[in-house]
Amino acid sequence: MRNAVGREIPERIGPRAVRPFAGAFAARPEGDKAPRPQKWAPREEEKVVSSLETAIERCELTDGMTISFHHAFREGDRVVNLVLDACARMGIRDLRICPTALFGVHQPIVGHLESGVVSRIEGSMNGPVGAFISRGEVLREPAVLRSHGGRWRAIEGGDLRIDVAFIAAPQADPYGNATGIRGRSPCGPITFSAVDAQYARRSVVITNDLQPYPVYPMEIQQGWTDVVAVVDEIGDPNAISSGTLQLTNSPTRLLIARRTVEAVRASGYFADGFSFQGGAGGISLAATKLLGDEMERAGIVGSFGMGGGTRILVDLLRRGLIRTILDGQAFDLDAIASLREDAAHQIMDPGMYANYDSRGCATYRLDVAFLGATEVDLDFNVNVNTHSDGLLLHGIGGHQDVAAGARMTVITLPALRGRIPPIVDRVTTVTTPGEVVDVVVTERGIAVNPRREDLRERFVAAGLPVRPLEEIQREADRFIQPIRRPVFGDEIIAAIEWRDGTVIDVVRKVEGFE
Amino acid sequence: MERHAGSDAKGDCRVTARASDRRTVRVTTKSPELLEPGIRSVCCEVLDALGAERVEIDVEDAGSLDYVLRARVEAAVREVTGTGTDRHGGGDGGVSRRRSSRDRPRRSRLYVPGNHPRLLVGLETHGADCVLIDLEDSVPHGEKRAARILVKHLLSAVAFPEEVWVRINPLDAGGADDLDEVLQGHPHGVCLPKSESADAVQELVRALEARERALGRQPGSTWIMPIVETARGVLRCDEVAAADERVVMLAFGAEDYMRDVGARRTQESLLFARSRIVAAARAAGIQASDTVYGEGADEAGLAVEAAHARDLGFDGKGAIHPRQIAAIHRAFSPTKEELAWAEAIVEAARRAEEEGIGAVSVDGRMVDAPVVERARRWIRYAARLSRGEGD
Repeated sequence: MRNAVGREIPERIGPRAVRPFAGAFAARPEGDKAPRPQKWAPREEEKVVSSLETAIERCELTDGMTISFHHAFREGDRVVNLVLDACARMGIRDLRICPTALFGVHQPIVGHLESGVVSRIEGSMNGPVGAFISRGEVLREPAVLRSHGGRWRAIEGGDLRIDVAFIAAPQADPYGNATGIRGRSPCGPITFSAVDAQYARRSVVITNDLQPYPVYPMEIQQGWTDVVAVVDEIGDPNAISSGTLQLTNSPTRLLIARRTVEAVRASGYFADGFSFQGGAGGISLAATKLLGDEMERAGIVGSFGMGGGTRILVDLLRRGLIRTILDGQAFDLDAIASLREDAAHQIMDPGMYANYDSRGCATYRLDVAFLGATEVDLDFNVNVNTHSDGLLLHGIGGHQDVAAGARMTVITLPALRGRIPPIVDRVTTVTTPGEVVDVVVTERGIAVNPRREDLRERFVAAGLPVRPLEEIQREADRFIQPIRRPVFGDEIIAAIEWRDGTVIDVVRKVEGFE
Repeated sequence: MERHAGSDAKGDCRVTARASDRRTVRVTTKSPELLEPGIRSVCCEVLDALGAERVEIDVEDAGSLDYVLRARVEAAVREVTGTGTDRHGGGDGGVSRRRSSRDRPRRSRLYVPGNHPRLLVGLETHGADCVLIDLEDSVPHGEKRAARILVKHLLSAVAFPEEVWVRINPLDAGGADDLDEVLQGHPHGVCLPKSESADAVQELVRALEARERALGRQPGSTWIMPIVETARGVLRCDEVAAADERVVMLAFGAEDYMRDVGARRTQESLLFARSRIVAAARAAGIQASDTVYGEGADEAGLAVEAAHARDLGFDGKGAIHPRQIAAIHRAFSPTKEELAWAEAIVEAARRAEEEGIGAVSVDGRMVDAPVVERARRWIRYAARLSRGEGD
């Protein structure tokens, strides 16, 4: 069947019946959320164990079960690999893993897929693991990719049932309260795991810094925690800012950042109480910095900013340019310090951030968001999951949640990126539908979604270089030869869920090239 | 014999060429399935254009655009075969360039080194009035040959919304070879470094004319911007400015000038040179552009220096980073007050003419003809700026 973005999707994927994507805000959730497991504790109970193996035994983890992780340590994470290695040693097989995101550091999962310790993945698909499953046939069922808000919704709604949640906790007490913003190796909020901890049959807090009761803030609460495992090391905080977190020096990227801020200024949203979210890419960071300077010049104070938190966002808070930061993740150590010290810098869980099946999302309060993309097409659909060669290499992150929420969603995108064109007739995979993408800012001009004639008029009046996306595409494509496109077979490698649980696209196995 | 061109830097490619008994093209790239056929077809086009049959090339691509790839193949292969030129750069490269007008706004001239593809991509998007691609000081000796071929291909491939210039080496130190290549790409003009005499300018004029004729182009179609950056040049900049019709702007280069006279950089120490250059340019009826401001990130410092240059009469200023352009344009565009003043004068002149009165007066004060002319020039200039075009 064809869904509302014109993608051909099957009626069933693996064991699941598919609900096709019908529009960004079409779904109407009904009935009740899934029940949570019943738990109790005796008056005196020892939850602390000194090895992962003991923790795994206490949770009665066996073949075929589903386990989950958070990604707050990003490239510095040790816990996913430690737990899977322990499972392998204990002879456990056929696990389904549900990480909130995966990174290059999780390359060893490939070995566990090959040996059968892991056989299914629901969650994110970054780097080497994505490349591996795109080529092979090792997954027992197609992977399911969900946004941050979509994952929370799926667990609460019963689409994703977790047997054991493993939660890396930079500081914890013996009774199972835990935080990510204190401890010997803080990684930022660990509230991504809060829903796992409540819905999983068993929940394990894994810490390298056990402190006397009570540890705070209680991002993970004692009532949810079955076992506290103490280990030597859970991750390297310095690696949470690896990769993308550089302020760009590239003239093209700075130009795009400047144009983005000019578009924000002209949008009509730029006034006292203004709110925004920028990502951690070089262009977004530069735009956040320039936006702050612009707010200062205009004498505007924003209501809130969202990140993940970075030193650049924290700087805006310290300068009084925004009243609050709402943060589910920290992208550097300055953000973690600010979360500890400044009450105006609030921890937020992904449910509050972006759960479709709820009475409110923080993203719906956003005026403006600037996001990146791997590809954008002439219908303004965005792909952040697959590369142009068809390989599945990235998770969704908060892309769908933020794009759907913000009153003006800006995609910042160089029109030329080496020999592979980022503006295409049709994206390889639809992550985020064009109906929630308002503006594409490139170094060769600003394209406005025809649905937003109001914005186009404002931009033109402000003298911004507004051009049809097609014209920008043509201009950039003159500098490169057309590329060959992948030819996809029938076999489905992964389903891309929209944040409401419908399927917006599927990733099929590459069979060859045109 | 094996020859190389290019590098493995992002946006570039490394091409190795060697003589062989038949033509072979080998391609290495990150996404061979997607990119190999396109890269191969570009390579073959260049080899055809060069008439190179007995050559074997290896291409290691690092995200190069077609014009970079084309330039690297040509540079490596010509080293091996010793002959030929890829005339793709000569006319059918896709871009045709109209001659620009003499007195178009030239508030900013953005310098970019001509040997780094990564810095050249998107050069045309930053809104500089003149983009100035450098083959001189910023290009090391060993890279000059490859750089001039790269610039030729860039000029043929990229449509610049404003002007594009090339700073060549001194004519007796590679400048003639620079012209052989880059004129095929038809830049709006050529910058002559270390200009010290009318003779040097006229020598460049002859060199340009010979090549313009050979390329079938109207003689005189390439402008000249002498750069005054020595003590001798400052003392003789009046003859440099008046040396030929092609000279449309004098540019000041403070770094070399300070070294030459033994000065430290202050506004006072540069005042004589700056004022002399402005006067020489005005006497010859051309524009003057101030030196670059070297602290790329210091916006406040740039604004002060640009305002100072504007006060002295300069029409524009050099930039070493695109982020400097906006401040430079602010400094050298007429202010609202200046425009209102100019409009009042032009209006008074129009009325005086209608009524057959010889003398023009505004607010009871007489206005001389040169002032009226200056006011008209400002209004034309502002109209061009608001249209965002030079011609």
